[in-house]
Amino acid sequence: MSPYVSKIDRRTALKWLSAAAVTLAVAPTMARAATYVKTPKGYGTDPDMLNPTSPWDRIMTDRQLQLTAVLTDIILPAEGEHPAPSAIGVPDFVNEWVSSPYEQTKSDQKVILEGLDWIDAEAKGRGAKGFVEADSGVQMAIVTAIAKPDASAAHAFFKRFRHLTLGGYYSTPEGFADIGYIGNVPMESYPGPDATMKAMLEERMKAIGI
Amino acid sequence: MKQPTPYDVIVVGSGAGGGMSAYVLAKRGLKVLMLEAGRDYKPEEETPMFNTNAEAPLRGVSTPDKPFGYYDATVDGGWTVPGEPYTTAPGDREFMWWRPRMLGGRTNHWGRISLRFGPYDFKPYSRDGLGVDWPISYDELAPWYDKTEKIVGITGAGQLGLENTPDSPPGILHDTPTPRLHEIMMTRAFEAMGIPVAPMRAAVIQKPMDGRSACFYATSCGRGCSIKAMFQTTTVLIPPALATGNLDIITDAMVYTVDMGKDGRAKGVTYIDRVSGEHKSVTAKAVVLAASAAETARILLNSKDGRNPDGVANSSGTAGKYLMDTVGTDSGGHIPMLEGMPSRNDDGMSGAHIYVPWWGYQQQARKELPFPRGYHIEVGGGQRMPGMGIGDLADYSDVPFGAGLRKQMRHYYGSDIGFAGRGEMIPNDDCYAEIDPDIKDRFGIPVLRFHWKWSEHEIGQAAHMRKTFHEIIDRLGGKVTYGFETDGEKAIAAGGEIIHEVGCARMGDNPKTSVVNKWGQAWDVKNLFITDGAVLPSNPDKNPTLTILSLAMRNANYLADEAAKGNL
Repeated sequence: MSPYVSKIDRRTALKWLSAAAVTLAVAPTMARAATYVKTPKGYGTDPDMLNPTSPWDRIMTDRQLQLTAVLTDIILPAEGEHPAPSAIGVPDFVNEWVSSPYEQTKSDQKVILEGLDWIDAEAKGRGAKGFVEADSGVQMAIVTAIAKPDASAAHAFFKRFRHLTLGGYYSTPEGFADIGYIGNVPMESYPGPDATMKAMLEERMKAIGI
Repeated sequence: MKQPTPYDVIVVGSGAGGGMSAYVLAKRGLKVLMLEAGRDYKPEEETPMFNTNAEAPLRGVSTPDKPFGYYDATVDGGWTVPGEPYTTAPGDREFMWWRPRMLGGRTNHWGRISLRFGPYDFKPYSRDGLGVDWPISYDELAPWYDKTEKIVGITGAGQLGLENTPDSPPGILHDTPTPRLHEIMMTRAFEAMGIPVAPMRAAVIQKPMDGRSACFYATSCGRGCSIKAMFQTTTVLIPPALATGNLDIITDAMVYTVDMGKDGRAKGVTYIDRVSGEHKSVTAKAVVLAASAAETARILLNSKDGRNPDGVANSSGTAGKYLMDTVGTDSGGHIPMLEGMPSRNDDGMSGAHIYVPWWGYQQQARKELPFPRGYHIEVGGGQRMPGMGIGDLADYSDVPFGAGLRKQMRHYYGSDIGFAGRGEMIPNDDCYAEIDPDIKDRFGIPVLRFHWKWSEHEIGQAAHMRKTFHEIIDRLGGKVTYGFETDGEKAIAAGGEIIHEVGCARMGDNPKTSVVNKWGQAWDVKNLFITDGAVLPSNPDKNPTLTILSLAMRNANYLADEAAKGNL
């Protein structure tokens, strides 16, 4: 696979920079009450809804980002007209997530980044140059092993990484098309489920006696 | 400096109570000044309508900056407001206080469920000896419900004849959109348990009216509504009030005291300009407080002077007292029956199309239930716009990754459902707000300290909610996925968490035990009115906004009548 090229264009990068600059310019100078904890470098409590930005620095190394791209595509390979996660920028989203300044993503930051380094070392331990360079047999063997439910840190990493991959993927228009979300379109009237679907449901309700 | 405009009325707040008060008073020809602590806000220009979660930071998930998600129509608000703290008394249960800082307040992001209180709800003490009766009856408020529903635009047409769940007169309510697949299924299961299901009453119009477009069954109402189908004071009440020429609005105006004259009447209010930090006073012939229940109490209690050592309108000592929220808890389930169903558009009018009114009045009359008051059930589910929660579906899959996982994701999409109980809390002596003796906000205004304690009535109700949800999930052949705990003490949401906090300046017949009379007029100060949720003497399971709007409409009209007679 050719190296992953970040989907963040120059315009977006400039938007982050200007958003960060604005945040600094209007930072209130008044003494804050002790009970309010501001998230530094977050998007703030009144972000521009129509022009969203996530104004924080990305912390993944290029190696971690390349590894993320390979791993997202192993978890959800392309299929027919449905593209692979790396083809629609999901690795950038994982990077945005683990780089976020917010408290609830802090534990993911540790789990994901340590997990990526671990999986790289694991591939080396199996004779490859690294996870990205390993042949698909080695890659699949490692992912198959960590996908097995147990109490290990490696499985915890797999679960979180899969969660981010799927959330990042299916929240896109390409993801909608795959999973079958057909909303977000204005309609004159609301049709509700069609007769065929209702009949199917009726059968199923009968089967369990309601 | 003398103010350029002599105002008849100052209205503090622009949400349900303040928005409706200003609308009525301006239309009645009074000169009104509205003061809003937050910034100006224009839903037509600011609402992210069709944006996907992929366009938002972190796919739109909740963060401390935006607790209900990136696109939620809350400005500078949430459980904490920058520089505006509040405290909970040591040893008490936590109270959570939701505040926005924007024109229109919580009507920009509210849940939209609009249920009339019923006849029992106005006379609860007479029925079971708990809490306190209202100084008015359902019949007195009914015509105002009619008028309010006509302006707001609410779904739920039909005559159901359910106990203590009043139908509106025919022709007022709009038709609720047809139920979704999972709602058809839920209805069947509830009816199998002998529990009637009703069409949702939501403040989302289904036909064009007053320059507002009908709902177009797309985009989440929680983001606000640029086509004005969803009721927000910023799109429905404030623009026509401004059009009369009788309303001025000052935003970023943090009111902190009612200023009293030597004659015992209110002169006006003092506020802090949040931008410049300046303190400014304005005067008017009457003052309406609608800053939200607890903030209104804070203003009263902070308005201390020689004549009012305990605050303004507080000779009864009940300002800040009898704070209530809604009893809340929820459970979710995974329903195999819904797996592998064809794709369908489950957007609808964003919120649920059905709800379950309280069904246990007769059981309670026979003393068969271990709690005295009712709750209604709200439902969720369907193939909704995917966000970060979608990853959880992989937990059901027997393909953990790779080829075949996509098929599994499609199979499980839309097979999870959720239930939320929303119940009546009975006012008690242990739940109140007072001024914290030490802490001040960034403006130097003393902050509120909350005291909170649930009683056995609420705890018993929360346990019953959970058991009911588990039973319904089981009847549907499903498995509970969250909300397992049936110990009510552990299951119950924190005080304030349901964001239905009311009380703190209750209405009554007796000036010794209430702050305002049945018109929302302070017993102690005849030209001071309260028109927000602070005046509610009880908090039935029915979400309070429709009642706050209806009371505000009724009481603002009374204020205008009294002003015309020269009685204020």
